[in-house]
Formats: sequence, C-alpha cells, structure tokens
Amino acid sequence: MFHSTRFKLIFSFLCVSFLAGGISLFIGARLLYDAVLMEATNQTRLALNAAEDVYQTHVRFIGLALNITTLGIGFRTSFIERNIPDLVDRLDRMAKNADLDFSGIALSDGRTLCRTGGNAAVDSRTDNPIVRYAMNKGASIAGTITVSRTFLETEAPERAGHIKFYSSQTSCPDAADAEPEESCMAIAAAIPIFEYRTTGRLLGVLYGGRVLNQSTEIVDSARKSAFFDEIQSETTMPAATIFFDTVRIATNMIDQKGNRAVGTRVSGEVKQQVIVRGKEWTQRREDLGDKYISAFMPISDVFGKRVGMLSVATLESNYGAVQRKLIFLFIVATGFGVLSAVGMGYFLARPIMAPVHRLIKASREVSEGNVSPDTGPLSKDREMALLQKTFKDMVESVKRTRMASQNQILQSEKQASVGRLAAGVAHEINNPLTGVLTYTHMLLRRTDINDDIRSDLQVIIESTERVRKIVKGLLDFSRQTKLDPEPTEINRLMDATIKLVENQALLKGVGIHFEAGDNLPMIVLDQNQIQSVFLNMILNALDAAKPSGEITISSRPALSANDIGHPGIEVAIADTGSGMPPEYLSQIFDPFFSTKDVGKGTGLGLSVSLGIVKEHGGTIRVQSEPGKGAAFFIWLPVERQVEQDESAGRGR
Amino acid sequence: MKVLVVDDEGIVLESCRKVLGAAGLDVIPVKSADEALLIIDKERPDLLLIDLKMPGHDGLYLMKELKNRHIKTPAIVMSGYSTEETILEANAMAVRFLPKPFTPDELVDTVRQALKGDPMKQIKTMAIKEVNPCPSPC
Repeated sequence: MFHSTRFKLIFSFLCVSFLAGGISLFIGARLLYDAVLMEATNQTRLALNAAEDVYQTHVRFIGLALNITTLGIGFRTSFIERNIPDLVDRLDRMAKNADLDFSGIALSDGRTLCRTGGNAAVDSRTDNPIVRYAMNKGASIAGTITVSRTFLETEAPERAGHIKFYSSQTSCPDAADAEPEESCMAIAAAIPIFEYRTTGRLLGVLYGGRVLNQSTEIVDSARKSAFFDEIQSETTMPAATIFFDTVRIATNMIDQKGNRAVGTRVSGEVKQQVIVRGKEWTQRREDLGDKYISAFMPISDVFGKRVGMLSVATLESNYGAVQRKLIFLFIVATGFGVLSAVGMGYFLARPIMAPVHRLIKASREVSEGNVSPDTGPLSKDREMALLQKTFKDMVESVKRTRMASQNQILQSEKQASVGRLAAGVAHEINNPLTGVLTYTHMLLRRTDINDDIRSDLQVIIESTERVRKIVKGLLDFSRQTKLDPEPTEINRLMDATIKLVENQALLKGVGIHFEAGDNLPMIVLDQNQIQSVFLNMILNALDAAKPSGEITISSRPALSANDIGHPGIEVAIADTGSGMPPEYLSQIFDPFFSTKDVGKGTGLGLSVSLGIVKEHGGTIRVQSEPGKGAAFFIWLPVERQVEQDESAGRGR
Repeated sequence: MKVLVVDDEGIVLESCRKVLGAAGLDVIPVKSADEALLIIDKERPDLLLIDLKMPGHDGLYLMKELKNRHIKTPAIVMSGYSTEETILEANAMAVRFLPKPFTPDELVDTVRQALKGDPMKQIKTMAIKEVNPCPSPC
C-alpha cells in the first residue's frame, strides 16, 4: 500500500502541510517568543514605574509627616522655649505614625537639640546630609540620602545594630573624610524652622527619615502595586529591589535558601549603565540562578548624585509558561490543520484516483483477454481524460494488431489444415482408386463378358476418373503455399515481429527481451511464413507468461543437431510461464493438440510452425519443466539459398 | 525383367502385380522400405517402383539408402500426393514420377519407358503441368 498512488498523494499532502505547519510553527513560535518577551519587558517597565511611584509616595509621605509636625499647635512654642520633653514627645509620635527610623531637631549652629530614640540628648556633630541640605537652601526637602554608620548609630542605635552597612565610593562624596565610611541609604525629609513662620532667621531644622537597608515596606508594596496577572503565583511575582550602589539593600527577591536576597550584588555592567550613565535600563539576565527580565532606574540623592537603583525583576519562566501554553495551542492548531489536510487529501485523492483505478481494472481486463474494457465515463480532468483516451486508442490498436496477427496465424493454420486434410484424403483415396482402376481395366480386357457388363464397367471407369479428378482438384486447390524465399536478416525480422506483439505484452505486463546475436549470416527464407512462426511462438509464450513475467528471445549461430555440422541460426524463445509436463512435449507438435481452453487455440499453431520450419530445412525443439517455463529453439539452416535456387530453377 | 514394387497398400501391390504380370514382367511386391533393402541384393531387380509416403521409412529414405549402397537400379516414384513439391523431390532421385491413381496402361507405359532408359523429360514436365493446372493462385 506504501507504493500506491493514493498513499503517495496523501503523503505529499502530508509533507506539504507538515512543511507549511512546521515553518509557520517555527516562525510563529519565534514571533510569539519575541512578542511575549516584549510584553514582559513592557510589563516590567510599567512595574518599575509603579515601584518608583511607591518609592516617591513614601518620600513625600515623610515630608508631609514632618511638615504636619512643624505646623502642629505648640510646636513652635516648645521649640522656642526649648521644651525638650514636649518636643521629644512630639517627635516620638511623629516617628511612630510615620514609621520613621530616626528624627530630630537640629539647630542652626549644627548642634542637635533633641531626637527620638535612646540618644535623645546626645549632641553630635556627625554629618546629617538632609539637615545640611535644608540649612544651606533654607527650604524643605524630601528625598534619598546616604548616611554613615556613625550617624545612624547616634540617631538610631537600635536600628543601626540590625542592619548592614556597605562602603560605597559613591556615598558621601562630600564627606571630609578621605576614607569612605560604611554607610546606608535612607529616605528622609527636613523642614526648616524660621523665626517667623516662613521668614526671618533660620532657627533650626526638623528632620526625619527611614532607613532603606533591610526595610521591606517599600519593596513589598511596590511589588503589590505591580499587580501582574492571575496566572502568577505568590512566589513567581515580580520582585522589587532597592540597590545601594550595586548591593541589594531592600528586596523581595528570594535567594536559593529562600531568604530575601539582601546583600547580593548585580554586575558592574548594570552599574555602568544605570548609575554611571543614569539610564533606565531593561535587560534579560541571569540572577541568583534564575533567568529574569529586569528593569533598572537610578535613584539620586537629594544632592542629585546617583547613589542607588530601583529595579523590578520578573522571572522569565513566568512568561515561559504563557509561552508554552501559546506554543502548545499553536501546535494543536497546526496539528489540526495537518490532520484536516490529510483528511482532505484522502477525500480529494478519491475522485482523482477513481478513474485511475478504473484504468487499472481495464488494463487488467485487457491482459486477461478482454479487448473491449469499460474505462468509465470520460473524466472532466483534461489530463485524466487524455490518459483515458490514450488508453482507449492503445487498446484499439492492440485489438487491431492482435486481430491482424491472429488472422495471419488463423489463415496459415486454415490453409495448412485443409492442405493436411487434402493430403490425407488424397493419399487414402488414391490408393484404393488405383485398385479400382486397375481391376476395372483388367476386367474390360477380358473377352468373355457381354456388352451390358462392358458398358457397366465403362461407367465404373468414368466415375473413377471423375473421383480421380476431384481428388486432384482438391489437392491442387489446397496445396500448401509455395515458398517465397529471399535473403533475410533474422534479427530484423524478429524485431519486426516483436513490434507486432509489444502492445499486447505491455498490457499484460510481460517484458519482452531480445538478445540479438552478433554477426549472424543472412538466411534465405520466406519472410511471411517464418514471421508467422515467430509470431506464433511469441504469442504462445505470452499466453503462458504470468503478468510481470518475462519472455526472453535470443538469436545465435548454431550448428545443426541432426545434419551434423550444418551451419545455421538458432532462435530461442523462452517464457517464465507455467511450463509443460514431459508427456505433453511429444504431442505439442501434433495437429489439433492444444493445452489452451476450447475456442482459444486451434491446436494447429505449432504443427503448422513445424511444417513451415521443416519446409525451410530447419528444426524445432522444446525444453520445458512444469513451473519453470518453456523454451522453444528454432534452428534454420544457412546456405539454403543455393539449394532453393536450384530446385526452384528446376521446377520452372 | 524384374520389377520390385514397394508400397504399404496391399491393393496397390496386387494391382501392380496383376498389370505388370500381364505385361510379361516379374513382379516382386514388398510392403516396406526395410523389406525392399533386405531382398534387393538377392533379387537384383531391373527396376524399382516405390511409393513415396509410407509409415516408418518412406520412399525417399529408401532411395537415399540405395544411393548410399551404390545400387543404381532406376526407380519410379509413385504417390497419391502429387503436388509440385513432391514431384520435384522425387525427380531429384527417380527417373519417373507416377501419380496415383493410375490406369494399367499408364503403369505399363511408365515402366517400359523406364526400363528402356529413356530420359523422357517431356513426360515429367507434362506431369507437373497436370498437377498444377493454373500456375498463378486460383
């Protein structure tokens, strides 16, 4: 079935659709992947913007809280009166409400008046960048700052004990100390306190801030605000991170141990792009063993110095799931397309194949002997119609040549059989007639008979003479045709003969191979008669051969087996048919012997062939074994020309 | 004069014996070529009258055999199958061809002429003409 045309058609359909499907799958998957990545990148950027909003909101919130405190009833009075307990009380409330890690009031001379926490009254001169900024500008400020460990240990010793500090070359650039001190990042605000509400001498600054190192509030609310869709689980939600320089100081990214990945660093490349060049940057990168799509933006401190980064990172595998889902859908759709192509191919192949099947059936019928097969109605398909028409024409021409060759054989068979009959009749009748004539004449010679008897005997003689003439006439009329010999190339004669049966062989699916011998001498023979012998032999072989069988014909110079040493040509015609049992071999040349069904053969073909070959001075022998086919060897003598010419000359 | 007649048909042999006997010839009738070969040396006939078609060895075989044995006794070939080919075949070896059936006169004439050693080409030609009345196919 794998070699059937329908299979091939469907297979081609399949290949084409697989190819188309495969290519579209490849391109589609590629496009999808890019689209998903693009979407992921956009989402991550959006999330980063949201995170920035959250960050800024927190910054503004601190500023607001401080502002409200300075505007509170009695604050100014307590400040001017240096009512420390009241001020500390107010600061504590503010710090509690605004969730500040440190807060205090600095005086215009740099001293700290009071602060929250344990060191409420300790006066220190540690650099307070936010206060410095507010003092210098004389204006309110809220933003990011970096503060030194010393500062935080003074301001919020408890908090300082819990967090990690990192040294950064970018931190405290204005610090007098040459050695960079370990520091941390904070968001803070400072509100200047003036002599007359908003004017006059600057008396002090209210400050407060929240340390970002190891804080969770901003990053967690940033993450929450960054939504994402419902297919993401808690663990695969995007992570927000605040970097101090390249160190994660606040993050909800999880390291391999399942803890927040605080303290880990990102590559220098990120620093180069974001902190040094100040660009927003999005990148697909590997971090902490997973693939992330990360977006970064720089964080500048209140002095405009880029000290850190805010980033949102999304696990690429989140989108991988989406992508896989989409690609799966894509594959399913492609598979469905291919399947429907196959199905359609199957049903489309049917009407295409129907006339072909019909032709196959018709050609089988032809090979079985029916030369008027039904090829069905003419197809609307032009090529198919042409094929049908060509097939019909071919069958017609086969019918004609077959009829012609059969007629030729029948004719010679008929002639020969009548001749044979006449010869038999002549032989059998002429002998007794000789007796009748002799005895009647002898009787007539006698003198002792009367006239009545004499005239009766005369009647016998006359009647016998009539019989003699009838027999002679019969013999003359049906006498075997005279030979019409001419020099012939046996291979050419065989080629011409094979041409006559080629179509028939083709239809039956039998191959005819002619191995023409080289340098064969010319042979003098009656072309028509010898051709009818060849034709007869080949048609017999064709009848015996099974479909896809073979007929092998060869010619070669050969010496006679009977008349030893006489040169001649042997033509062998062998088939791969069913062969003959040995008991048939002695009978096949007998007239009216046939192995074919009644009506299919006259049983005279071989005997006539033998007669013709014998007339040419040749022989026919046969080799056959049941199941192994049969081979006929026709030997024809050369140098027959001289004898023929002589005898023909003598005859005329 | 001795005439050896070879024919498988008893009636032909008997006819020849009667007619040739009446004409004053000695007739030795045999039924086959093999029989003829057996007795030919002993009988030494002056003439052979041979039927062409016989079962087993036929008349042609007999004449070939005689030629092989260098027996040059003239032979008349008779046949009921008097086609041109047969006559030509016979003429190659025999002195006369006698188509069957024949009348006693025809037989005696042919035998006498053969015994005389007359070439008588005329008769041969006549015989051919007789069996082939229209040379072109009718």
